[in-house]
Amino acid sequence: MLTTVPTPTSVPVPSPDPSPARSADTVLEVEGLTVGWGAAAAERPAVETVSFRLAAETDTALVGPNGAGKSTLVQAVLGILPRQAGTVRVLGAPLSASGRLPAAVRAQVAYLPQQLSVSGRFPLTVAEAVGLGWEPSGLRLAWAGRRGRGAAVRVALERTGCADLAGRLISELSTGQWKRVLLAFCVVRPRRLLVLDEAQAGLDPQAADQFLRLLFDLRRSEGWAVLQISHDLEMVRRTCDRVLCLNRSLRCQGSPEIALSPAQLERLYGRGYVPYHHHHTRP
Amino acid sequence: MTGPAADWLELLRYPFMQRALLAGLLSGSLGGLLGSVAVLRQLSFFSDALGHSALLGISLGVLLGVEPTVVLIPFAALFALVVAQLVERSQLPSDALLNIVYSSSLAIAVVVLRLLSARAGSLEQLLFGDILAVSWGDLAQQALLLAAVLLYLLLTRRAQILVSLDQGLAVSQGVAVGRQRLLFVMVLAVVVALSIKAVGVLLISAFVVIPACSARLISSSFAVYVPLASGIGAGCGVLGLLASGAFSLPSGPCVVIVQLISFLLALLIRSRRQPIRAGVSAAAPAPPSPG
Repeated sequence: MLTTVPTPTSVPVPSPDPSPARSADTVLEVEGLTVGWGAAAAERPAVETVSFRLAAETDTALVGPNGAGKSTLVQAVLGILPRQAGTVRVLGAPLSASGRLPAAVRAQVAYLPQQLSVSGRFPLTVAEAVGLGWEPSGLRLAWAGRRGRGAAVRVALERTGCADLAGRLISELSTGQWKRVLLAFCVVRPRRLLVLDEAQAGLDPQAADQFLRLLFDLRRSEGWAVLQISHDLEMVRRTCDRVLCLNRSLRCQGSPEIALSPAQLERLYGRGYVPYHHHHTRP
Repeated sequence: MTGPAADWLELLRYPFMQRALLAGLLSGSLGGLLGSVAVLRQLSFFSDALGHSALLGISLGVLLGVEPTVVLIPFAALFALVVAQLVERSQLPSDALLNIVYSSSLAIAVVVLRLLSARAGSLEQLLFGDILAVSWGDLAQQALLLAAVLLYLLLTRRAQILVSLDQGLAVSQGVAVGRQRLLFVMVLAVVVALSIKAVGVLLISAFVVIPACSARLISSSFAVYVPLASGIGAGCGVLGLLASGAFSLPSGPCVVIVQLISFLLALLIRSRRQPIRAGVSAAAPAPPSPG
């Protein structure tokens, strides 16, 4: 049974700035997106006619019950899953039907998947893995830009608190460490759009707070737009500018105060819903 | 000089043995190189199935009266394409599908070869290979193939690792996953097809899988892993052939036995926690931390 748990005070995270964003640049535009697969796709798509926009320097949360299509939606936006209908534009460039974006635009996008399990001993160090995020796509010799990559990797690992993991194999990491390393992979080069699929699940309170601070810095200092799937509604309320409520289709979108009001939550999660607050305490 | 050492030196004077050692070096190196990615991509069984099915390609060559290698390359490429499509579309587990395809191909091939009495006697040679019968032309072919595979892996290293890690992550980073997967299985198919003559149908997967698994056990970075897999493959190829020549034993099985010994050694090293370290560009490794 879900119960209401009071949210203890954790390390304060800067709250969203109520003033208008300094830049109104549109980073992501989604229009009438419909996604589905298999025989039932035409009758009952997993995601139906979803439209929204993300501006630079904003943090938008995507919330909804399990099976609502949140991961499906972000994967279709990134071109990982094919779409049935609708358009997606990243930094003004259209995502092709086969999920392609111009290389220069694709390099501006980072994605942290919900699960990424490495099977068996994987001989790739954390530093090597993060270095892959720095390299541009396309054909490139392994040793090209080695010095610049090394410096960028060191900075990214320090920013995400992973400097001590640099020489470890990725298959030796815990779930929380892996998430931090993947975040380092995302921030190892300047980008404009960061898509996170339940990125904070598995992080300890200290790492979660560091994570939120980093997201804030990326938005405010470097102008990133963040789209994050989360079940932690308290965190969403504290840190996000906007909320998209999804249950196959968008049920509402707006500021956290509006989108996470009791009436809207009951509409999204069903009658009798009692919000669960993630318990952030220091050990 | 007398004894086994003299016998070996005598053996090395023969051109067929020199060619065989070079073939062992090249095919072992090639198998380890490609195998390092194949085992990360969980394609070990695919190379096994490809090798077994190649016998059908050889029997088709015999039936058509052309050089089997000429038929083998398109056959293996077609096999790779069909299996990749079947796995994607049938929604059945890939190991079950591969089993159906390779056992059926093997059965048909053996029956066809038995019916063709002229070639029936050389079935053992096809199954286990004849590295001692490798010509200078075959060696040149293998050297070119090794250079091409090396260049291919050097240029696509990032894509290969990302696809092995997670396809969604790879797509988000601009990797054309479908094209990369298909290209890799095609390259694997061509390598298997061209190595069949030396290594044989039954043992080809060992050349791809064992050196890579040995290297995977003891490598502490990707920068070490791929060259180590290739080096283990090459070393086992040469040592196995020397053992084969010295004791007058079949060459392919001798190489695989040496590969097995290398794998057991790697297991031993791993169990003693002595991984081979490589210089990485970031900070020095730290002791394991909890959480």
